Amino acid sequence: MPTRYYYYDYDYNNRTRNCSTTTTRSSLEPPDVPRLAQTARISLTPHEVEEFAPKIRQVIDWFGQLQDVDLDSVDPALRADSETGYLREDIPKTFKNRESMIAAVPSYDEPYIKVPKVLNKE
Amino acid sequence: MLSTLHHPPRRLSRFFPANNKPRHFHTKPVLSSSQPVTDQSPSSTSPPESQILSIHHSLLSREVTATQLAETYLSRLKLAEPQLKSFIHVSNNVLKEAQSIDDKIKRNENVGPLAGVLVGVKDNICTVDMPSTAGSRVLENYRPPFDATAVKKVKEFDGIVVGKTNLDEFGMGSTTESSSFQVTANPWDISRVPGGSSGGSAAAVSARQCVVSLGSDTGGSVRQPASFCGVVGLKPTYGRVSRYGLIAYASSLDVIGCFGSSVADTGILLSAISGHDRLDATSSKQEVPDFTSQLISASLLESKPLKGLKVGVIRETLENRVDSGVKSTVLGAVSHLEELGCTLSEVSLPSFSLGLPAYYILASSESSSNLSRYDGVRYGNQAAAEDLNALYGDSRAKGFGSEVKMRILMGTYALSAGYYDAYYKRAQQVRTLIQKSFKTALDENDILISPAAPSAAYKIGEKKNDPLAMYSGDIMTVNVNLAGLPALVLPCGFVEGGPVGLPVGLQMIGAAFDEGKLLKVGHIFEQTLQGCRFVPPLIADGIPQ
Repeated sequence: MPTRYYYYDYDYNNRTRNCSTTTTRSSLEPPDVPRLAQTARISLTPHEVEEFAPKIRQVIDWFGQLQDVDLDSVDPALRADSETGYLREDIPKTFKNRESMIAAVPSYDEPYIKVPKVLNKE
Repeated sequence: MLSTLHHPPRRLSRFFPANNKPRHFHTKPVLSSSQPVTDQSPSSTSPPESQILSIHHSLLSREVTATQLAETYLSRLKLAEPQLKSFIHVSNNVLKEAQSIDDKIKRNENVGPLAGVLVGVKDNICTVDMPSTAGSRVLENYRPPFDATAVKKVKEFDGIVVGKTNLDEFGMGSTTESSSFQVTANPWDISRVPGGSSGGSAAAVSARQCVVSLGSDTGGSVRQPASFCGVVGLKPTYGRVSRYGLIAYASSLDVIGCFGSSVADTGILLSAISGHDRLDATSSKQEVPDFTSQLISASLLESKPLKGLKVGVIRETLENRVDSGVKSTVLGAVSHLEELGCTLSEVSLPSFSLGLPAYYILASSESSSNLSRYDGVRYGNQAAAEDLNALYGDSRAKGFGSEVKMRILMGTYALSAGYYDAYYKRAQQVRTLIQKSFKTALDENDILISPAAPSAAYKIGEKKNDPLAMYSGDIMTVNVNLAGLPALVLPCGFVEGGPVGLPVGLQMIGAAFDEGKLLKVGHIFEQTLQGCRFVPPLIADGIPQ
């Protein structure tokens, strides 16, 4: 099903937005915010879902403009630099400030970091 | 800076030891009269001096003590804070550390090049003796068990960390309005934003609350606030400065950067923090030259000091989408460079406009992964919950602000099974195109220039509810992060707005690891710029110096 996307163009001189809409074929489902929130482990309130959904959709639509670029035979760049092969020796070192790390743990019951039960939903 | 010297340029080549280890260095006091650092006659429009060198000289010649300097800066800091809100946390140890420097000097012991220099540190950079929140409630009161490598180096050179500066939460934003704690104001007009995400660090240097500061730059977060606040901002090459201790936002894009009130100070700070670090697997082993050894006094420059330098003006950055005032200020900078002997030409960077969506896809995707560690279990704020999923969900819901939540959700979407090829992979391919186009342009030019932002500072609240409007302000800066290149922003003029006008920054982009050339060109540009003084009204009028 074709979806529309907007070419976002903010004109600073006239403070207007020039939107050109074009349609493009896409089989991608639009963002399902409650499902994404579950995947990302963030408990959103219904109000937040309502507030975020249109903004997220607008940005994802804007991302869609990359679909129209001819990128065949272009390698993806994994990172900015091209230096490789820096390995260090596999020698363990003890981190000295362990007390400070432990002090940062919200629920600590020596020597355990406590969490609530993991419910099994049968 | 070296304008106080009346003899041939003294090379700073041993200011920082070649292997960048903390060997303390003792300078001979210079016999000419240098201005004490607290005297900045408001009427003069002379170019900025290096405050770091000035402080170093004043301390060693016993003109002033580190304690006196610290007291002056602290009182200025406290006076401006209610209006500016640059700092999330101010150190309790400043005077104690200043005293120990004074004791060393009294005993004629060597002190480091940053002795007595008050340094602000962005709150997403870990400091062991102060909270590090990344501007987020999820890390409120978090005390890291270690210093970031960059902070460790500042301390090794005897710098004093004055406090942790405000930022957009986790670096996500361009105004500091997404900080969970406070919004920082622009010292040039307190109804306007200072830029972001390193808005606190930029405002603090601009308002002279500290001498220099550290920030981070993922998509422009050092360069855009430098432009908005009228200070110098430097984004180093990816891998130049260790990221160990920088709270990660987008690991393939993040770098730690420097702010100063002069190019020289920014270069000195960069020298201090650069270098390979075994604790950062992406840290480069490229040798670190002494960045400041090329900085010559303005009075000793020949008439066309940049003769032969090829400068490419990026055509796409001066098209319609730029504020006309910014455009004319940058064209003024172009003329200035021509007067200095540069050969200017126009370059076109194909795929330039694709960089913005590509950047936001990569940054949101990487951040959704990097922020998954904030689960309320091992550190940070923990919500009360009866089962593990609720613990995660509620801790994160309560701890993260709206902008961060939205970006995590967008990133989660872009990385979902079936969508990776459409978004993340395509963004990486666009990244390749951008890297190639920069390489071609920099094979033919020494540096490239553009505005740092399409406008000067806008009003607080103006872009808050329109994410795409805010993102579009990053168009000048994101491509540089995608390519991993270094860039320097320095103030080049003003546009209308605020009580006395708003500063505009010029961005200079260099080839990888070529920070030295950027600093050399920037320094000459700065020292020869006539009739401009980049000290905000907050300092020049109301606050005692």
